Formats: sequence, C-alpha cells, structure tokens
Amino acid sequence: MLRVENLVAGYGKVQVLHGLSMQVAEGQLVTLIGSNGAGKTTTLRALSGMIRPESGRITLHGADIAGLPSHAITRRGLAHSPEGRRVFSTLSVADNLVMGAFPRLTGSRPRGDVAADLDRMFALFPRLAERRAQLAGTLSGGEQQMLAMARALMLNPDVLLLDEPSMGLSPRLVSEVFATIARLRESRVTMLLVEQFAAAALDVADFGYVMENGRLSASGPAAALRDDPAVRAAYLGTAH
Amino acid sequence: MQILAQLLVSGVAVGMIYGVIAFGYQLTFATSKTLNFGQGEALMLGALVGLTVASFVGYWVMLPIVLAFGLLQGAVVERLGVRPAIKSKSESGWIMATIALGIIFKNLAENIWGRDDLKFPSPIGERSIEVMGVRVLPMEIAIVAGALAMMLAVELFNRRSVFGKAVVATANDRDAAGLMGINTGQVITFSFALSSMVAALAGVLVAPVTLTGATMGSALGLKAFAVAIIGGLNSGLGVVVGGLILGITENLTGYYLSTGYKDVPGLVLLLLVLSFKPSGLFGKKTIKKV
Repeated sequence: MLRVENLVAGYGKVQVLHGLSMQVAEGQLVTLIGSNGAGKTTTLRALSGMIRPESGRITLHGADIAGLPSHAITRRGLAHSPEGRRVFSTLSVADNLVMGAFPRLTGSRPRGDVAADLDRMFALFPRLAERRAQLAGTLSGGEQQMLAMARALMLNPDVLLLDEPSMGLSPRLVSEVFATIARLRESRVTMLLVEQFAAAALDVADFGYVMENGRLSASGPAAALRDDPAVRAAYLGTAH
Repeated sequence: MQILAQLLVSGVAVGMIYGVIAFGYQLTFATSKTLNFGQGEALMLGALVGLTVASFVGYWVMLPIVLAFGLLQGAVVERLGVRPAIKSKSESGWIMATIALGIIFKNLAENIWGRDDLKFPSPIGERSIEVMGVRVLPMEIAIVAGALAMMLAVELFNRRSVFGKAVVATANDRDAAGLMGINTGQVITFSFALSSMVAALAGVLVAPVTLTGATMGSALGLKAFAVAIIGGLNSGLGVVVGGLILGITENLTGYYLSTGYKDVPGLVLLLLVLSFKPSGLFGKKTIKKV
C-alpha cells in the first residue's frame, strides 16, 4: 500500500531523515516508535507532503508521490492527523469534519455517503456529537485530538497517518484513543501510528519500526518487538 | 443640527466605501498574511472599465462584467506579484510588487482614459432626496446598500459553501488545509481575485459621486488601509465601523476646522491605534492552544 525507500528529508539545511525505508501493508496497523527527536514526526510530514523530501521514493498504490504538494497526496487517499491537532479553530466541529471530506465533496475522491460518515464519526466520538455546532477552537485538548482523528477519517483514506494521538491527554482519554485505534484496525483501516507510548502502540499494532537519529534501529512484528530486550530497555521501561 | 446631520449622512457614504475596500484587504490578509497595496488601483480600474463598458451595454449589464474583470485583475496581481514572493518566503517582496503593479495599472489607465477626470453618470438619477431637511443623493444610498450586500454575500459564501469553508480553513491553518486536500495556492489566488472584485464594485459605486480618473484610487486605497488597521485586519465587519468613523470624522473636520485638515484625524487615529491597540479596535488577539 505505502512504501518508502531511502527517504532523505529535513528542514532547510538540517537533515533529519538519513535514508529511511519502510512499508505499510494494506489493512495493517504499523507503528513507528522512538525517542523525542528521532524523526518520527518528520517522517509523517515527508509522507504527506508537508515537507518536500530531498531524495528517495514514496509510493502509494505503486505510484510515486514524493515531492507532490500535500493536497495532491491527500486526494490520492492519504490522510494525516498532524502533530498538535491543527483543527480549524473558527469552524464548527461539524464543518471541520466536512473539510476532512473536501476531496470527496469536490470530485477528486469517490463521494460515497458523506452524511452517513459524519454520523459514523459522531457515533465513534460521542463527545464530538455533543459539540457539533461549537467552534473547534473552544474544545478541550482531548476533544480537539478526537476531532483531528475524525477529520482525517472523513477522507475515507486508503492510509491514515496518526501523529501522537495521545499527546497531552489524561490517562483515561489515552486509553479511549487507543480503544478507538483498535476499533479502526478491526475495520481494516490501514494506519501508520507514531506514538510516544511505545508499549501501548505495540499492543495494538501488527508491525513496528523503531527509529533512532533519523534511521531505523529495529523492526519486526509488534509482538516480537515488545519482547525484544533492547527495545524494552530503551523504550518500554522495565515496568512493562 | 441640520448641517451636522448632513455631514453625518455624507460621511456614512464615504465611510462605507472605505469599509468595503478595507474588507478587501482583510480577505487576502486572512488567507496569505499579505495585502494588495494596489487595491486603490483595482477600484480605479473597476470604475473606468465600468464607465467604458456601460457606454456600450448599459449600466446593469456592466455590473457583472466589472465584477468578472475585478476577479481577473486580482488573480493577475496575485500570480505576478504575490505568489513569487510567498514562494521565496520574502518578507517584503509582495509589498514592493503590489505597489509596483498598482503604479503600472495607474499609468496604463492614464494612457487609455487620459489624465482628465471623467463624469460617471448615476444610473438612478442625480437629484437628491430630502429626508427631514437632509439632502441624500440616491447614489449615496446605493453605496451603502451595495457595499453591505457585497460584504454579506462574501460572508455567506464563507459560512455556507464548501469552497467558502475551505477559504476559512486556509485562513485558520494553511498547512492543515493542505492536508484536507485543499489547494491552498488556489485559495490565495481566489482571495486576491475576490478582494479586487470588491474594490472594483466599490469603484463603480463611488464613481458617480466623486471624480472618475486614473488617480481616483490612490487616496481611497491608502485611507482604506488606515481603516483596515483601525478596525483590525482580522475584525470581520469591524472595518465597517472603522470606515464610518473615518468617513464621518473627515467630514466633520472638513467643515468645522478646515478642509486642509480633513485627512489629519484619520491618520492621528491610525497612529493612536498602532501604539495602543495594534490588533485594531475590533481585532481579535489570536490565542493558540498548546
């Protein structure tokens, strides 16, 4: 589904990713873990066109998308729920979700039933249903996080990139978010999940990649990584 | 009392023109944090093109043609002057570029329509109506109605249509809008087109009550810029209030002090706002949740 080969990217003269290769198979939940500054967010930003890769290939459905502007990549079916939520603060919750379906409403993606999907999101995130007419800027951090996820899902994406969906949430909300991610996996949504809570991420994922200083240091089935002593020591803590 | 009422009424008409041009400044500032400093020239071109087109097809058929011309002219300004500057992340390139394009448009107009001021006939008569002893030109009423209708139409478009919401989304967060599949470059071009369209309409509205010529836009564009700062570049309809304040104080100063000081109060107000409330009288301070 999504394949990355020798991806080199960064910001201006600062190179962050030094030749990254990975893939996300259809229907799989793949997680990318690693410490702060390892390049996880940069990877997602390069995949969705928020930054322009310097070299390397990124293929979606076999077509090279590296270097395309983000709106073109989204229209090919890749949705990105970015770091920091980035909801549209002066639009209502419902309108934020409508924006997630923009390519479907304007003919660059199969339309499907947008209204039904909107209802589906409100069923998945009842808190958003209660606040559907409220401006997104007035939501709490946790609600904004849910909105960002739901908004990305409104694309009916072929691949969904999730950047730290648990960031800044209370423990109860964190488990709620992970339960939602597990539900999405059940319904075979292809996902690439970047998480700081490595243990929780490996618990829900099929496959995992471990990043260190812009390079992969380990990879394997999530269960195997969870039991890998080196990974445990570095990212999962001994308490797991 | 009679005189005061008279001054207020004509102040409101001029003020609405300032307000609607300032509204145009807001449109491009919202999406791109840049302005078209040739906005006054967009207004002037709207008036002159309107004058010529109206002589062939009549006033009412001319209106949609001028609106379309405004859209096109604004898109050209964005493509030639603003996009290259945004692309190269130039801090001030767009300022010079839009001023330069404005001067070019002015010279072009001087060569096509001459240097003399022309008469733009009013479509709804030039005889003033007396309301309780105050003389009101029909065109002054049309200015207020036309300006309000235009701003309302843009607001409705932004709130109700999918494309309008995409404009608001781009204004909120350009990168995130891109992730929604919105071509934000096109949205910015569109906002410049819309902004010039608003100015072109303002030109057609104001032309019958002022002189029409290549230089008519410069002062209006500058004053509307002051209004945009006074009202706040992100204040929504706050610019209408800003425009009315300026239009009325100008008229009052012109009458009670001297026409020589007509432009002073507005500029003093501009300086005061800049030093005490830089986001404008009605501007929102942006709060970012972390």
